[in-house]
Amino acid sequence: MSAKYFTARGLPVPAELGPAWRTSWRRWTAIAATLAVLAVGVRITDIDTSRANPEYAAQIVFGQLFRPDWNALFSMEDVESVWDTGLGLMVVTIMLAVVATAASIVLALPFSFLGARNIMSGHPVSLAVYSAVRLLFTIIRSIDILIVGIIGVILFSIGNAAGVFAIGFHNVGVLGKLYSEAIENIDQGPIEAVTATGANRLQVIWTAVLPQIVTPFIALTIYRLDANVRFAPILGFVGAGGIGLVLFQNLQLLRYPQAGAIILAIVITVAAMDFFSAQIRKRLL
Amino acid sequence: MPPLLSLEHIVKVYPGGTRALDDVSLQVERGEFVVLIGLSGSGKSTLLRCINRLVEPTSGRVVFDRTDVTAARGAELRRIRRRMGMIFQQFNLVRRSSVLHNALAGRLGYQPLWRTLAGRPSRVDLELAFANLERVGILGKAFSRADALSGGQQQRVGIARALMQRPDLMLADEPVASLDPATSHSVMRYLEEINHADGITVICSLHFLSLARRYGTRVVALKGGRVAYDGPPAGIDDGRFREIYGEDAVEVEIGPGQDAPLLAKVPTGAEASAAEHLIDIPDR
Repeated sequence: MSAKYFTARGLPVPAELGPAWRTSWRRWTAIAATLAVLAVGVRITDIDTSRANPEYAAQIVFGQLFRPDWNALFSMEDVESVWDTGLGLMVVTIMLAVVATAASIVLALPFSFLGARNIMSGHPVSLAVYSAVRLLFTIIRSIDILIVGIIGVILFSIGNAAGVFAIGFHNVGVLGKLYSEAIENIDQGPIEAVTATGANRLQVIWTAVLPQIVTPFIALTIYRLDANVRFAPILGFVGAGGIGLVLFQNLQLLRYPQAGAIILAIVITVAAMDFFSAQIRKRLL
Repeated sequence: MPPLLSLEHIVKVYPGGTRALDDVSLQVERGEFVVLIGLSGSGKSTLLRCINRLVEPTSGRVVFDRTDVTAARGAELRRIRRRMGMIFQQFNLVRRSSVLHNALAGRLGYQPLWRTLAGRPSRVDLELAFANLERVGILGKAFSRADALSGGQQQRVGIARALMQRPDLMLADEPVASLDPATSHSVMRYLEEINHADGITVICSLHFLSLARRYGTRVVALKGGRVAYDGPPAGIDDGRFREIYGEDAVEVEIGPGQDAPLLAKVPTGAEASAAEHLIDIPDR
């Protein structure tokens, strides 16, 4: 290649311009390694398609799931209140996510300041608190929400309480991390300036930090609410309340038209949440 | 009378091992307008921040009006800080807050905590904020968001915020380095005025020697964290200049009404006074 430019001037040739085989050797190793992993994966997962039954699947999906039984959403038979109908349960599920998100804010908000490096640096003790809080957030996030749901069901038995617990617990870890990072991303200049006026730590946070984080916090909270509304129906599958519980029961009883109606309600709800949360966040930022 | 500010053998070594200040001693009398000059990285910002302890000196002593700043802790340190105003190159306003709120921040050191938390400044503080904003010519922008203002206007808010402290000493860290030449003079004139009219001692770091000559009563040059020159602005001749800025340096002029001030000469008296008329200073 253009290594001549360097050799002609008696300069050392940069490694990047060295013989072509060296770069291509690395490239081929990477490709071979990827293919090897893939081959092993296909081998040991033993993907078996011999028992596939397309005719049956088509009959179930198009004949039953896609012919929803709207009674599953609206019928007042066998239910005690309007909140036990399919649609009512959908609203309950959304509210479950709302309540859980609100509860997690209460915990994540104060902890996020303790987990922000720029707030906590300057003293070994506070720096240790920072590390501990961020580690806690990571541990909380690493427990999958369905597992927290199962623990919630063990703790509170089947029902909405378990769902609120699962979403709330998980969301403390996610929201705490997001809040902390938002605090770390603020402009440090005003903090320095307000400190120089003789303000104490709380006054500095109140005057120089809070105005900078209100908008990102609102945007992050709406984003998480959106995600939590998405989680809430699935949590019913492990017994953690909401419309997912009824969907799971219908699927177990092979009542596909009823399940289809519920799935459609969930899809519309999640899509609507997604749309509105994107709109609100766009306007905020 | 003892000096207002006395720095005794200040050394600052940053965690990376950089020796930003290497035994700096300085005495500043009341009413002086001290200009700090020196190359980037010569220790100007660090020195200013050691005075109000935004940066902790590694060793040495800072004495402000007979009080040992370096020994002060907690509330005592905050009481000292509120007597020193500070303005910054990047203005350091809370961009999302109003101009008024930014100005009021200068009162925090005097304010009980509940007033801060409740967002209820006292009437006296509020009127002081209006008075100071009027003084720097931006009362009309009091309720605008800070980031809606131009650079020069933002720096004037910075000055108003510092004046709110009713300081005895004003620390200015490259206050005009982010501004165009005409605006630079306007901001420097406010500093000159608070120095003359209010008797506030000013320590101001600057990039341009021409500004130092024009506004300073005394120039302190730093080089490699040491004091390379300390004396009247007129005492800096070509030889001194090269000592401070290096052999290859050429003096750069910053003046209003010049599109490309690079490598221009120091203006003669006539040019300088003609230029003065181009400076836009709002009524006050």
